[in-house]
Amino acid sequence: MSIYELLTQFGDKYLAALLTTWKLTAISFTLAFVIGIVITIMRISPIKPIRFVGDLYVQIFRNIPGAALLIILVYAFPYLNFVWSYYACVLIATSLLPASFCSEYLMAGMNTIGAGQIEAARSIGMTFFQTIKNVVLPQALRSSVLPMTNLLVATMLTTALASQVPLKPTDLTGIVSYINTRTVGGVTAFMISAFLYCATAVIIGQIGSLIDRKVRILR
Amino acid sequence: MNGVNTSIRDILYEEPGKKARRRIAIGTVISLLLLVVLVLMMIRRFYDSGQLDSKYWIFFTKSTTWKFLGKGLLGTVEVAFASGALAFLMGLFMMLGRISSFAVARIISRILIEFSRGVPTLLFIYFFFLAAPQFGLKLPAFWKISIPVALSAAGMVAEVLRSGVNAVPKGQTEAALSLGMRKNSVFFKIIFPQALRYVVPSMISELVIVLKDTTFAYVVNYADLMQNSRVLISNYDALLSVYLVAAVIYILINYILNQISVAITKHRNVAS
Amino acid sequence: MEQSQKTFEILEEAPVIELRDVNKYFGSLHVLQDINLSVKKGEVVVIIGPSGSGKSTLCRTINRLESIDSGEIIIDGVSMPDEGKKLAEIRSQVGMVFQSFNLFAHKTILDNVTIGPIDVLHKSRKEAQAEAMELLKRVGVESQASKVPAQLSGGQQQRVAIARSLAMHPKAILFDEPTSALDPEMIGEVLNVMTELAQDGMTMVVVTHEMNFARRVASRVIFMDGGKILEEGTPDEFFAHPKTQRAKDFLESIKRHES
Repeated sequence: MSIYELLTQFGDKYLAALLTTWKLTAISFTLAFVIGIVITIMRISPIKPIRFVGDLYVQIFRNIPGAALLIILVYAFPYLNFVWSYYACVLIATSLLPASFCSEYLMAGMNTIGAGQIEAARSIGMTFFQTIKNVVLPQALRSSVLPMTNLLVATMLTTALASQVPLKPTDLTGIVSYINTRTVGGVTAFMISAFLYCATAVIIGQIGSLIDRKVRILR
Repeated sequence: MNGVNTSIRDILYEEPGKKARRRIAIGTVISLLLLVVLVLMMIRRFYDSGQLDSKYWIFFTKSTTWKFLGKGLLGTVEVAFASGALAFLMGLFMMLGRISSFAVARIISRILIEFSRGVPTLLFIYFFFLAAPQFGLKLPAFWKISIPVALSAAGMVAEVLRSGVNAVPKGQTEAALSLGMRKNSVFFKIIFPQALRYVVPSMISELVIVLKDTTFAYVVNYADLMQNSRVLISNYDALLSVYLVAAVIYILINYILNQISVAITKHRNVAS
Repeated sequence: MEQSQKTFEILEEAPVIELRDVNKYFGSLHVLQDINLSVKKGEVVVIIGPSGSGKSTLCRTINRLESIDSGEIIIDGVSMPDEGKKLAEIRSQVGMVFQSFNLFAHKTILDNVTIGPIDVLHKSRKEAQAEAMELLKRVGVESQASKVPAQLSGGQQQRVAIARSLAMHPKAILFDEPTSALDPEMIGEVLNVMTELAQDGMTMVVVTHEMNFARRVASRVIFMDGGKILEEGTPDEFFAHPKTQRAKDFLESIKRHES
């Protein structure tokens, strides 16, 4: 099938798929960011059990394969009377997984600050929260712009998990199997989706490095 | 005053005084209680829904169960290694193109790297599963999963290798050139071996990503850990327990790999 | 009799910094042993001693960047608490200059100097900035105000760090080996600023290896070794007639190094 035939026949479906992927990515990333911050606060808490739960979260969700997590959410959890829609299951998986990486990046960002600046803040009389507000948080956030950009792209790639459950409208990966089960989409059907993914990734990357250049901290 | 691997956790708080110590103690007790309650609630869930019934767990005492899971795991490991090796080769070529002095090679490599990094693994798998057979490319299931997983890792591998090459001090090249070595042999004999050493920890992290991606093997019907778990499930009619065990196996393997990567990084920081 | 004693107490000004029987352990290591020290207003106390003698630790305990295991630290008549807002408040009255400058990497030079006055002392931005520019002029880096720390040389960064301390109007400033991380040609510019401060009457505690600075500027020299204060006296006394063998050995080794 030529690209022209494909687009006239499935053009609106591709558009819907692109929007689905974007929407899933945006929601997942936002949730992942919020969860990631909460988990990070838990991991730097002085209270050991809270730290432990934060660490455990990260170790579980950075190491479990996405497919395994989605399968457990969709097929295994109903046995425990946790029954969620396909859409909810996908969103839970595509948020919980990147959240662990988000926390790792934030921790790495904070680790670049070093004891000296924190002691300097203390020595001019800043309280714990003033030190966090003035020194730790701004530097951690500014030095994690590039990792967060990569995380946003990674989150988009993770949302391809949505193709593993019946969703309407389907996402950019799902549409390839949709087309191929109806007609012979061939390489072209695949390339259109691939191009849309790549274009999104490149745009995200460009915006990310633009922001990074503005806020990067010289060391 | 500060060791090499001082973490933000150790420096964020002052040494606690009496009040802080009391608050931490109270917080510890309360959070421990909450944690226990949460775990109990979870166990209660399992109990109420009958999932603690021995029929769901008893077959894990049989050696045949573990042999079968082990076989699946072997399949997973084989795919992971094949994909890892392929990704390394492809990544190496992309990196060489990326740093080449030929503009065309640089542009092509750049496009390939962006493509590899910007397309989800599943889409690559669908390509080899759905599109490739349409023009007569018939691959065994092993390669139908290994090649796409490798393709989607190659771009990252190329970037990691490039960062390793960049991390080798400029003085190394200058020293080698001043000995009269040719440009190519400087790269392959002096720069690249050092770059490889730098990137070992990141490469292990890449292997974890590859290993996680191999779980999509069910799409092409290849017998990996996930697929063999499915067979166990239909044999024993025990879905939840089997999937949980499989997930724990994946998490443990990846955890160990990540710990190795962390240990190497720490060891090096101490050494330098 | 009673009356005259009272008058005497009032005349005898309370020390700005006082340490009473301070002890500190790192695990089983007794790093500060029964330290008693009092620094009067306008005094410049220079602490010297071999590395590992506990001089840096002593300096850091004064504003409780290091905790102590027993004893008491009194700043201008107020006992240093272990924690909380009160601790932060007292710290804001004692400046500190570190070996590695420790400027805030994400803030401009001007913001490094104004952040304390604005956030801790609640001054208006305008007032804080005007004063900060004065201070930067005083330490000779006013032309760098809009740069970030990484763009400055070590000597410049350390002078900014001094300005940052001064902006808090501290009752005393602690210097923890302020020139040890500097290239030789930059040591002078920092020591000059410190000398001027001393002449202006700032109360200072300085941990340093710069013996010439100690000779010229110190009102008192303290020699530490093995976590103890072994000697205390005017620079003339100490450098000409050290009493203990360890002080003699230390001065001897430095002389050999300097010549």
